[in-house]
Amino acid sequence: MSLLEVHNLTIAFGDKKVVDSISFTLEKGSRIGLIGESGSGKSMTSLAIMGLLPDTATVSGSITFEGQELIGLSDREHSHLRGNRMGMVFQEPLTALNPLMRIGKQIAGPLMIHKGASLKDALGSALELCTKVGLPDPDRVLRAYPHQLSGGQRQRIGLAIALACEPALLIADEPTTALDVTVQREVLNLINTLVDQEGSSLVFVTHDLPVVSIMTENIAVMQLGQIVENATVASLFHAPKHEYSQRLINAARVAEDAFSGTGGIK
Amino acid sequence: MKKAMKGNISLITGSVMVAITFSLLILSFIWTPHDPLEVTPDDSFAGISSKHFLGADKLGRDILSQIIVGSRVTLLVAALAVTIAMTLGVSAGITIAVASRKLQAPMVYAVNIALAFPAALLAIILAAVYGASTLTAVSAIGLATAAAVAQVTRRTAYGILASDYVLAAHACGASTWRIIRKHVMPNLRASLLIQASAVVSVSVLAESSLSYLGLGTPPPAPSWGRMLAGSQQYIFVNPLLAIWPGIAIVIVVLGFNLVGDGVREVFDPTLRRSDS
Repeated sequence: MSLLEVHNLTIAFGDKKVVDSISFTLEKGSRIGLIGESGSGKSMTSLAIMGLLPDTATVSGSITFEGQELIGLSDREHSHLRGNRMGMVFQEPLTALNPLMRIGKQIAGPLMIHKGASLKDALGSALELCTKVGLPDPDRVLRAYPHQLSGGQRQRIGLAIALACEPALLIADEPTTALDVTVQREVLNLINTLVDQEGSSLVFVTHDLPVVSIMTENIAVMQLGQIVENATVASLFHAPKHEYSQRLINAARVAEDAFSGTGGIK
Repeated sequence: MKKAMKGNISLITGSVMVAITFSLLILSFIWTPHDPLEVTPDDSFAGISSKHFLGADKLGRDILSQIIVGSRVTLLVAALAVTIAMTLGVSAGITIAVASRKLQAPMVYAVNIALAFPAALLAIILAAVYGASTLTAVSAIGLATAAAVAQVTRRTAYGILASDYVLAAHACGASTWRIIRKHVMPNLRASLLIQASAVVSVSVLAESSLSYLGLGTPPPAPSWGRMLAGSQQYIFVNPLLAIWPGIAIVIVVLGFNLVGDGVREVFDPTLRRSDS
């Protein structure tokens, strides 16, 4: 049994389909990259898995997670899975943290909700998690407010929160887009290491081909709500089947050429 | 907290002003220079003297004593109106913000109707049914301002509920109740403080107007609003008569506003200069 099976998933707002009958499967411990431009439906797909779509959305098709059908699941039942069996890292690490709550309590949250831990125990685990995500001086970090940390540190906190309950599935929605380029690589490496360590599966959402190729072997290219190509990184680079995949590769090559001095943007 | 007070001019000034008002309240139960209701025709319109520190009104009643005792009505009005307005307004505002789309519309209409209903009319109705008293005035003020509080709370809560950190909290499996307690309430706090201090100001002023119209505290109990109203016809003969209760009202209103502003600064960690 696969960990996650998405079958003919369609998400519509009124008459407008933002995700149009997409299907993919994810085995336990494996990874998939969802790549596409903004509006291609990749974020909506991840929100649908988490059960966080706005109530104006109509969803059809099927998403099974650990053998359980998620579509039609009540919000209450879905909330038992969120932050527990499935965790999510968001794009903008500053706004994804409550500005008035100390970091310690924010990391402790999912442990208190799902594991019934006391605040004291949860804060103890939060300290370990901070060390695990490579934050220096974790004692100080737990007492800090989000605005007192750097972007990279905040995203490490986001990761600590998502991984607090050791989820089977981690969804990372453009986790490095809002970060400095120099910090991006560090955070990607951290996600790589931790996902391996925990044996979690990963859905990595991005619009950046070089980034996704660091994170995963399998890529689903999305455009206008559909998966237009499903391939491995290697085969996509060598023989893209879809015109849009070709454009993504060209865009990545421009950057590469600029570095190697063989051209770039003319 | 001590650290936060340092350099916070609004909070310090406001606290001093509020403290003055509360000292008057305490003093009113212990000592007043004269019986505030004692009529002495010889002292009619007496100026500032060693007998009457702030002078006396037409009936020769001591102004200072009336101001001291009048603080009771003012602070009672402020406390009750804030309690009524904030309790009703905040719970209604949050309920509407988290309610399902279908339920929201009628509730918003109800708040808008309440908002459009004039407070003075409500005060007249209550006074007609129960007889004019401080309590009917306060209920009218509280109910009328509750609608405004609900409106602002609902809008602010919408913004908070649409924020990324609430989405992130949902992604952690937090229940609606937990999100209200841990995320909505703390982030509403700054806005609520401002609203509460505004309600204090509005209610003190409104009680003054209602008393002036005969819909509030009935005579002879001293009230700053009625003192102000009573002095109106002698404003050119004896302007000091209007100035004293005026100053008292300004001190309360300004004091609570400054405290509200200053406390907001203390509660917002991003406005603090040093950590924890």
